[in-house]
Amino acid sequence: MKVHVDMSICLLHGQCVIAAPEVFSFDDAGGLVWVTEIDDSQVADAEAASDACPEQAIILG
Amino acid sequence: MMQDADTADTLPFLDVANPAFSIRSQAVLDARDASWCARTPYGLAVLRYDDVQKLLRHPKLRQGSYRWPAHNGVTGVFARWWEAMLLSQEGDTHARLRRMANPAFSPKLIGSLIPKFQALANQLIDKFADKGECDFIADFTEPYATGVICDLLGLPFERWRELADIAAEMGLALGVTFKQDLPTIEAATKRIFAFAEDLVETRRAAPTEDFIGMLIKANEDKAQLSDQELLDMIVLAIFGGIDTTRNQIGLAMATFIENPEQWKLLGEQPELARAAVEEVMRVRPTVTWVTREAVEDFTYNDTPIAKGTTVHLFSQSATSDPKIFPNPGFDITAERKPHFGFGGGTHHCLGHFIARGDMTEALKLLAQRLKNPRFNGEVEWLPDSGNTGAIKMPIAFDAA
Ligand code: HEM
Ligand code: SF4
Repeated sequence: MKVHVDMSICLLHGQCVIAAPEVFSFDDAGGLVWVTEIDDSQVADAEAASDACPEQAIILG
Repeated sequence: MMQDADTADTLPFLDVANPAFSIRSQAVLDARDASWCARTPYGLAVLRYDDVQKLLRHPKLRQGSYRWPAHNGVTGVFARWWEAMLLSQEGDTHARLRRMANPAFSPKLIGSLIPKFQALANQLIDKFADKGECDFIADFTEPYATGVICDLLGLPFERWRELADIAAEMGLALGVTFKQDLPTIEAATKRIFAFAEDLVETRRAAPTEDFIGMLIKANEDKAQLSDQELLDMIVLAIFGGIDTTRNQIGLAMATFIENPEQWKLLGEQPELARAAVEEVMRVRPTVTWVTREAVEDFTYNDTPIAKGTTVHLFSQSATSDPKIFPNPGFDITAERKPHFGFGGGTHHCLGHFIARGDMTEALKLLAQRLKNPRFNGEVEWLPDSGNTGAIKMPIAFDAA
């Protein structure tokens, strides 16, 4: 599954990092980084992150 | 040695402890022009958009109200809950609790409640529409905000008064008379926990797929969400969801009464209701500031901030800044940068999908059914700072 974040609406709340720490993280400069291609074992967490994102910026497909 | 930022005398001073202090006063506007932050009797106030935005997510700041009971020398059942609940937690414990609670607050689950919110709003409006007047707080926002929580918990609307009273009595803990009110607060806290226990017991016997059902499911793994944490979370949803929503819808009505052409527009174009909620929360957020505390010494904007310093992030002043919001007047059709009415960062409001959903439905129906609303007597307000709003708002209108 592919993971995409619309950085034009992401506000760096980090709720995705809380929900799916293996998929999303902050780099040292405070920017959001994520795994763009995830395997099946990470899908449930990524979906939880997508649901939890306050800005609904995460697109899975 | 780190200089204590509270004593840096070049900064403007705002007396937020004075009951007459207003977050919308000229003093705040002048301070915002002069500096990114001001001194207050309890730490710093951050005034501008970019700084509030950055500091909401700053790794050197933690949520700042966790010490409130200790600060007042209070212990007991309320203090135990306050210090253990999600908002007071940081780091791994916060992340774990938030992860376990997320499914219960998901937009999908909340979407299924929208028809109930519409029915509730209509039922309340039906009671006073023909009279052409009401107390908008007692007759609408209070029963609506509490009724929404009843819907969320799967309880009949008839129990709203009971919940509203408990929440109001517990809410005394946030006021300056915390210590004097302690017996009332403790009794209300015990009642709310009995209430939550009852709810959990009933649903364990007859499982549901709703909010409580999702939390009970999370509680199957006790290491991730213990029995106590399950109850603490239910209590937080009740406590955190009622007054905020009541106040925010009241502030919406006051704002529209001052901008009648916008109300007319909303009545004609109900699809603007979602944007209207955002615009109201930009110009009149009920949570006018959120509080943080420095976990270690750090420097921000060349200002040294010592460990333990309280930092108030002034959402209200940040999102009314004409430098960031050209044409800052209330306009539900304008494209705006995001407001901070639900906070931001790791503690971003967990109930925002619910609040956004219920307020959108309420405004949509109100604008269609109450035409030309106007004040109809003295409005009674909470102080215009901290968590603000009206507690009495007589209005008159023309029924559609
Ligand atoms: C218009 C209504 C509401 C407003 C304005 C509001 C505002 C806020 C704000 C500003 C915060 C962050 C506080 C901070 O960072 O210090 C917050 C947190 C929270 N809110 Fe809301 N809220 C509203 C409705 C609700 C509802 C309906 C619920 C639950 C049913 C809820 C549950 C929570 C919870 C659990 C937190 C703590 C989140 C955490 O610490 O991770 N809120 N809210
Ligand atoms: S939760 Fe959403 S807004 Fe927050 S950092 Fe992740 S993608 Fe961005």
